[in-house]
Amino acid sequence: MLIQLLANGIIMGSIYSLVALGFALVYNTTRIFHIAYAAIYMFSSYMVLTFYKSFQMPLLLAFLIAIVLTVALSIFIERTVYLPLAKKRSSLNVVLISSIGVMIVVVNAIAMFYGNETQILNPNISKSITLGNIILTYIQLAQIFISLALIVIFLIFLKNSKFGIKTRAMRDDEVLCTVFGLNIYRMRLNLFGLSAFFAAIGSGLVAYDVGMDPYVGMPMLLNSVVALIIGGVGRFEAPILGGFIIGILQSLAVWAFSSRWQDAVTFTLLIIFLLVRPQGLLGEKQRVV
Amino acid sequence: MNYLLHIFIMINIYIILTVSTNLLVGMANLLSMGQAAFYGIGAYIAVLCLMILKLPLIPTILLVMVVTALFSLLVAYPSLRLKGDYFVLATLGFQLIVFTILYNWVSLTRGPYGIPGIPAPKLFGMIEISGIIPFLILSSILMLIIVFIFYKLVHSPFGRVLKGVRDDEIAVLSLGRNVTAIKIWAFVISSAFIGIAGIIYATYVSYIDPTSFNLDEAIFILAAVLIGGTGNIRGPVVGAIFVVVLPELLRFVGFPDSVAANLRQIVYGLALIILMMYRPQGIAGEYRLQ
Repeated sequence: MLIQLLANGIIMGSIYSLVALGFALVYNTTRIFHIAYAAIYMFSSYMVLTFYKSFQMPLLLAFLIAIVLTVALSIFIERTVYLPLAKKRSSLNVVLISSIGVMIVVVNAIAMFYGNETQILNPNISKSITLGNIILTYIQLAQIFISLALIVIFLIFLKNSKFGIKTRAMRDDEVLCTVFGLNIYRMRLNLFGLSAFFAAIGSGLVAYDVGMDPYVGMPMLLNSVVALIIGGVGRFEAPILGGFIIGILQSLAVWAFSSRWQDAVTFTLLIIFLLVRPQGLLGEKQRVV
Repeated sequence: MNYLLHIFIMINIYIILTVSTNLLVGMANLLSMGQAAFYGIGAYIAVLCLMILKLPLIPTILLVMVVTALFSLLVAYPSLRLKGDYFVLATLGFQLIVFTILYNWVSLTRGPYGIPGIPAPKLFGMIEISGIIPFLILSSILMLIIVFIFYKLVHSPFGRVLKGVRDDEIAVLSLGRNVTAIKIWAFVISSAFIGIAGIIYATYVSYIDPTSFNLDEAIFILAAVLIGGTGNIRGPVVGAIFVVVLPELLRFVGFPDSVAANLRQIVYGLALIILMMYRPQGIAGEYRLQ
């Protein structure tokens, strides 16, 4: 039982890592507390639902269209809300509140069109394989392999590609990047696009397994934020480590108490980290006061 | 007629919530996402006082204020060491933990089943406040007292120091003020009065369950303050009236109820985005959010 829960935790952790990485891409570079990321995550599931169920397209095609539309939504939000605010030099709290506004609008627009109830993509029980004591469904296997592959590819790109170097430069000093002639607006566009791409993949993989409702984004966003904080803000490996820790811890919480206490465990962990080690596991000591 | 009175009572509750939250958001620039937790703690402690301890109204109010103040100390002291996003996150974490406890500790709070049949409060042990008109009078009196207290507070030396901390913390520090203590006081006062809103809500509706005090409610309270305006008393009052009256107006325009709930949320969301873009001090506020 424990091993099975651990395996589930690791698989869930890989999804958390992927989604948290998308959040970190925006937060580490622009310091935007991107609450609308919750809505972006949820939006992707509903787009898969629309094209797969309503328009009867093949699953893979529906996925691709959903990813494109989700990236487009993210870029639209950046261009209409975040960029104008950044040009006005609005404070981070103002950006955060606007982001809440965007989240509220998108979530309720979806709820208005699709209803509040849970919708499922895959009505059949998924096939599974048995490895020793562990039973894994094919969807779970897809979840862990796709997210791990994307995470590894991203980390390699971050180290070696030009885009990765620019991203790290932007994390370190945005003003200096402008001085050296880097097109910040374009970089932001790429970052918002890539973050939405990660959200869309994670969202699709989860939705195919357990379905969706308009409010799935918020818990996922909160897990991402906690993953980023306990890993360490500013590092791109951090949300990956944090994501796995949360995934495993939540399944241990199921084992020790019950699934109802998962959130309490996650947020107690967050508060402990904020108090004792606000720079996170991988972060260097810095002033947050 | 009762419908109109009901709206007035809800406006009174929300004015208490927004005016108290403004002390943090508008006066101290502390963006707390945990205010619904204090609202809920107030409501549940009120139920404890009225149903189990069988206390009259005034001791209930005092006890609720003391308990919510103690809880707020528990949050304020650690979270005030953090700044910006980290402070927001700490209060958000507290909000979610309180909600999870209210929801899951079934033997204490009956969890998702809620607590029905909350008795009407008794004033001086004899006058029972039940029915909509006595409630309107009670909530209006409490609201006016609290607004008066906050009006005095904003214009008191404490209010001025608090504004000083908000605008330039280091300057206030260099004048020899204890900045942390000032912020903690703001936190404690704000939460204690929010607890009173919880009492009014619990006794008026006579049924509470944890979903009335979840993260959405916390965001809603914050949105009401920011839409109305921050930094003075007028702003939050306008915000409370706006968020309570708007859905009723939408209903009169003729949207079906199923759509109206989402539509009003969309209006709040758009209002937040547009205000943050063009008018960060809100409709009637004076402090531009930093």
